[in-house]
Amino acid sequence: MPPRLNILTARAVPVLRQPSTSAVNGSAAARRSIATIVNANRPSTTNGLKFVPSVSVRMSQRWNSSGSDGKDKPEGYKGPTEDPLPHVSEEAAEVSKIMDKRCDGVASSPELEQGTPVSEILQRDKNAQKHAPKVMQDQMKNQSGKRSFSTSARRMESGLESTNFDDASAAMVANMVAAVNEQAAELHFGEGLKFEKPTKAMAKTDNFRSRYDSLLEQFTKQLMRDGKLTKAYNDMSFILDHLRTSPPPNTSMKRPLLPGPSSSQLPLNPVLYLTLIVDSVAPLLKIRQQKGVIGGGASVQIPVPLALRQRRRQAIRWIIDSSDKRRDSNFAMRVAQELVAVAEGRSGVWDRREAVHKLGIAGRSNLAKR
Amino acid sequence: MVSSFCWSCLTRLPTASPRAMLPPTLTPQRVAAFHTSSTLLASPLKKKSTGNVAAPRYRQANSARMKKKGKAVERARPPPAGERRALRKRIVLSNPNALEVEDMQDISAENMVDSRLHGAVLGLPVPMLDQLRAVQAFKPKQGWSIFRRPGTVMRRESLELGRLIDSISNNPEDKGKVVKRVLTGAKGTGKTVHLLQAMAMAFTKEWVVITVPECQDLVLANTSYAPLSDKTPNVYVQNEATAALLNRTVTANQKVLSTLKVSREHPALKSLVARDMTLQDLANIGIQDPAAAWAVFQALWTELAATSAAPGFEAGFSPRPPMLVAVDGIGHWMKETKYRSAKFEPVHAHDLVFVQHFLSLLKPGNNQQSALPNGGILLYATSGSNSPSVYSLDVALKQVAARRQGVTPSSSNFPQPAAYSKIDQRVFAALDAPASSIPTEGALELQTMAGVSRDEARGFMEYFARSGLLRQHVTEEWVNEKWTLAGGGVIGELEMLGRRLTVPAQVE
Repeated sequence: MPPRLNILTARAVPVLRQPSTSAVNGSAAARRSIATIVNANRPSTTNGLKFVPSVSVRMSQRWNSSGSDGKDKPEGYKGPTEDPLPHVSEEAAEVSKIMDKRCDGVASSPELEQGTPVSEILQRDKNAQKHAPKVMQDQMKNQSGKRSFSTSARRMESGLESTNFDDASAAMVANMVAAVNEQAAELHFGEGLKFEKPTKAMAKTDNFRSRYDSLLEQFTKQLMRDGKLTKAYNDMSFILDHLRTSPPPNTSMKRPLLPGPSSSQLPLNPVLYLTLIVDSVAPLLKIRQQKGVIGGGASVQIPVPLALRQRRRQAIRWIIDSSDKRRDSNFAMRVAQELVAVAEGRSGVWDRREAVHKLGIAGRSNLAKR
Repeated sequence: MVSSFCWSCLTRLPTASPRAMLPPTLTPQRVAAFHTSSTLLASPLKKKSTGNVAAPRYRQANSARMKKKGKAVERARPPPAGERRALRKRIVLSNPNALEVEDMQDISAENMVDSRLHGAVLGLPVPMLDQLRAVQAFKPKQGWSIFRRPGTVMRRESLELGRLIDSISNNPEDKGKVVKRVLTGAKGTGKTVHLLQAMAMAFTKEWVVITVPECQDLVLANTSYAPLSDKTPNVYVQNEATAALLNRTVTANQKVLSTLKVSREHPALKSLVARDMTLQDLANIGIQDPAAAWAVFQALWTELAATSAAPGFEAGFSPRPPMLVAVDGIGHWMKETKYRSAKFEPVHAHDLVFVQHFLSLLKPGNNQQSALPNGGILLYATSGSNSPSVYSLDVALKQVAARRQGVTPSSSNFPQPAAYSKIDQRVFAALDAPASSIPTEGALELQTMAGVSRDEARGFMEYFARSGLLRQHVTEEWVNEKWTLAGGGVIGELEMLGRRLTVPAQVE
């Protein structure tokens, strides 16, 4: 005979079975499946038709809040799990006693064949409790509800939180589980990590693709001619060495570099030096010629703001272009000398920047026509 | 348009106009011309020329010439002659922007044997820089230009060399000792800088330093050459190169040479040499007259190798100092040169008398005199970056190492060239130097330079950081990383890593 299972109480079976006498209410009921809720409410709907349309309303209420349990229950109704039932194996034993009276000790059902847990026998049989092994008796005596060690690792587990172990063996098993968990928690460093946390965060340099400064990378790529990147890298190292060794720039009052360290300190930090030079002459905007705004085929100049990378790109472009007018035969030398000229405010790149900004100011009124 | 006659009348011959009935006139009618200009008759037909309209000029292209768009005309004039070369060979030894490293010591007679300075960077004394420049101890791409002033790491080999130089100078037991070494090693392991350190130490001890900074210059056919004499038509002398060598030697060793006097007659120079002449003046003769340069060099060498004065010259004789002979890039001396003989056959480098002289020093001395009778060091370095591949030299150097370890040439362990390989017997002969019978003269050894140790690498990297060029925390871990990246401490690679501007690691 199959074990009698109440469908309405069917849920994930915990390892430690809850005692049937404990009242099932509160949050446990709220966590039941929807079907269970609908089934559970069916008896109440039979009382009157007026309840039928409100089922879905109640369902939604159930899903959203757990505090509405029992309010819409009829007074005399006993919940499906409130009916105390004996243990499955006890029930099987009862049934087999009634159904087939065999005395040869052969189990008549699988439940009897598997036997009854010792804990249940001890709970039932006072005599057996008295003659139980000393270890078990000690465990039962010490069952005071609190343990000598912390069980904080298991406190978060909701399934076990509300469980009060009223039988000694369950507590014993729980003790063992908690001990193992505690050991595991000690091993795994508390934060759910399997191994020790790395001491050093990944630095930017740890990836070989980003070992150079972003501006340096952008400038180098723009120095590249005919796809010869290695040549461009060599040129860039020449330029940086030139910035390192050339005398500190005499910055002009009219065209100062962006605020930074004093000019005497710049050569020792050539990357910063280069960044200041490029950012100082980088335009804030570009002029877009837009047709069809005012009609007649005429185009209007609309200033468009640039992102940082775009601004730098334009500045580098200008610097390399104006370096082409220099006489030196070495390309890297030309660019390096142009960079120093920009730092000292002598370069024509400043004029180009001012021209673009002037056009941008003039074109501000065109932004409304867009 | 409507026809002038009806369809039914078509059968009739039309008599359109009475004018058609007139008989044609045979005489030309004189009609008054409307235009006053005379009629232009078509010119008689010319014979059409087939093919080319104009015959092409001599060696002119036949095809249609299109104007090329892409090529811009190079308007800028090339820089003046010699400017690019000067720029390429320029050696900058100072960067005024770099920080002065505090408490950096200079190489001196005291600290070149101090083992506590192992791994530290020692500066080269500023007054000595002119001497070192004169002997061309610095090379253009060695990266001196970013530091305040040049300095070198005291590595294990440098300290050992310092002790050697110190003992030859000061230790009476080692007086007259000769050490002969061939330096090899991978590219960037510091062979040339080792030579530089040897020169600096020798200058502090007031030795005479004679260098050949670039062997390739002697075999490229860049300098003049001529047969040495009628008796030896197959041996060539390079007068200009010899004069340059004399110039280097005099400029660098002026202090020493000006105190030494001539100690014997020099029949080859006849009346040019006076009795009271200093060796500096003697060398100047060769500088001023390159035709006599080789004879002057031989005379100078004889004077420097003299242990005693000839009869009649004892008055002004002073003992000669030890010598350091440093040669860089001997691989070029182990093959045929670009020079041609009278029969237009390539001249082997060993047929140049200049090369012969320096290679003969590797052999044990004769006449009961060592190669350097007053003691000294021979340091001949191969080059890692500019070296021709000479298979015979590779094997010969292995043989040198084996001989040094006591393997006899008859042994089966003695390295031999591969069978059927093309070998140059003259290379083997030049480096085949058996142990000398003279006790002070050491046998030829092979010194292989490798990477520096981690401690030395740390000292080098701290030098970068203290010069303000490296903006990073120089930790043990960081140095070890760079040491590994530099192929196990190859110092040339370490130098490149030190000057490279990577993003500094974020400090937590």
